[in-house]
Amino acid sequence: MSSSTTTTTSGVTLNPKSCRIKFARRFLRSLAQIKKQKLPSSSSSEEEIRMRSKGIKMAAYYSMARAVGPRMNWSRAFLFKLRNRVRHPKLVKKKKKKRVIMRSNKASRSVSSVHMDRGNKLRELVPGGKSMDFCSLLEETAHYITCLSTQVKVMQAIADHLSK
Amino acid sequence: MDPPLINESSFSAANPAAYSLAEIWPFGGEPGGLGLRMGNLGGGLGESSGNRDGSLEESTVTEQSGGDGRKRKDVSSEDESSKIVSTSSANGLKDSNGKRMKLDGSRNENGNSKAEVETNSVAGDKPDEQRTKPSEPPKQDYIHVRARRGQATDSHSLAERARREKISERMKILQDLVPGCNKVIGKALVLDEIINYIQSLQRQVEFLSLKLETVNSRVNMNPTIEAFPSKDSFDAAGLLFGSHAPREYAQGSQPEWLHMQVGGSFERTT
Repeated sequence: MSSSTTTTTSGVTLNPKSCRIKFARRFLRSLAQIKKQKLPSSSSSEEEIRMRSKGIKMAAYYSMARAVGPRMNWSRAFLFKLRNRVRHPKLVKKKKKKRVIMRSNKASRSVSSVHMDRGNKLRELVPGGKSMDFCSLLEETAHYITCLSTQVKVMQAIADHLSK
Repeated sequence: MDPPLINESSFSAANPAAYSLAEIWPFGGEPGGLGLRMGNLGGGLGESSGNRDGSLEESTVTEQSGGDGRKRKDVSSEDESSKIVSTSSANGLKDSNGKRMKLDGSRNENGNSKAEVETNSVAGDKPDEQRTKPSEPPKQDYIHVRARRGQATDSHSLAERARREKISERMKILQDLVPGCNKVIGKALVLDEIINYIQSLQRQVEFLSLKLETVNSRVNMNPTIEAFPSKDSFDAAGLLFGSHAPREYAQGSQPEWLHMQVGGSFERTT
C-alpha cells in the first residue's frame, strides 16, 4: 500500500502510475465484492444485467475517486454525492429532478454566449463542477480527464484478460 | 516616453539632496509593488548617482507604461516643477519628491492586485540585483507584471486579465491532454472537443462496465476461484486471480504488480 502519494503542486500534475495502481486495486476488490453479492441470484434478466453493470460502473467511478483522494474537488464532490445517495436516496432523486427542470428552463430562456453554454455543459460532466468558477473548472477537468483515461485503460485491460 | 529623460537629468542634478528622500519616504514597510519601488529607490540611493538615476528612470518609466495620456502629463508637469525647485534648493526637492511619491502611491493604490502578488515574490532579491545591474532586467519584470501600454490599469481589468491568462494556460494544458485537440483553434471549439472527449470516455466506462459484468459473471462460474477462501479485503486480487497474485504483488514494486497481474499471473490461474 506504499505507492507514493503524489504531491500536486499546480493541481493538475498527477502521477498516473500510482493513481492507476490504486484504482486497479480498489476496483478489483469491489469487483470481487460485487461478484460475491451476486452469487445467490445468478439469474440474468435484462434488467438485472443493466443494474449490475451500473453497479460496476459506479464501483469504477468510486474507486477512482477514492484513489485520487480528497485533494481534488471533483473526487470530493463525487464521494459526497455517492455517500448522500446511499444515505438518503429519495432526497437526492428529488433534488436531481428539480435541478434538471431548472437547467432546461435556463437553457431555453437565455440567449447566453456559446462560451457560457459550453462551460455549463462541462460543469455537468465534471462532478462537482456546478459550484466551481471557470478557472478551477478547467483545472479539475484536466485532472478528471487524466483519471478517466487511466480508468478506461485499466478497465479495458481487466476486461481483456478476464475474457480470454 | 520623453518626460522621463528630462526627469532623469533633473534628478541627477539634484544629487546631494538624495539621502533625505529616504527619510521622508511616506510608505515605509508596505508590501507589494510600492514596496518594491521603494527598494529600488533605496538601493539606488545607497550607491553612486549613476545607479540612482537608473532606478529612478526605471520607476518613472514603469509608472507611465500603464498610464494614459493625462497621467503622463501629470507626471511630467510634476517633474518640471521638481526640476525647477531642485536647482533652487534642496528642501524644495524634498517636498516635491515627497509629493511625487505620494502621487505614485495613490496611483498605485488603484493599481493591481496581481502586480502586488507577483512583485511580492520578487521583492526580496530585487535591491541586490539593482545594485549590480542597475537598469535593464528589472524593468522587464515590471512591465511584464503591470499593464502594457494602452491597456486599462484599474484593478478589475487587471484581475480580469490575470484570470484570462490563467484560463488560457489551462486551456493549453487541456489541449495537450485531449488527443487531436491541438489542431483545433478557438476556445469554443476546444471546449467542444473536451466535452466530446469526456463524454466518449464516460461512454467507454459504461461499455466496459457492461463487458466486465458479463465477464465477471462468467468467471464466477469457475469453481476454482470461489474455492479460494480469503476474507481479507485487501486480497481482492487474490480472490479474483487465485493464490499466485498476492505473493507476486507483495514482492514487486507496484507498477510491476499491475503489469504482472494483468499480464502473466492471470493466465495461469484461469
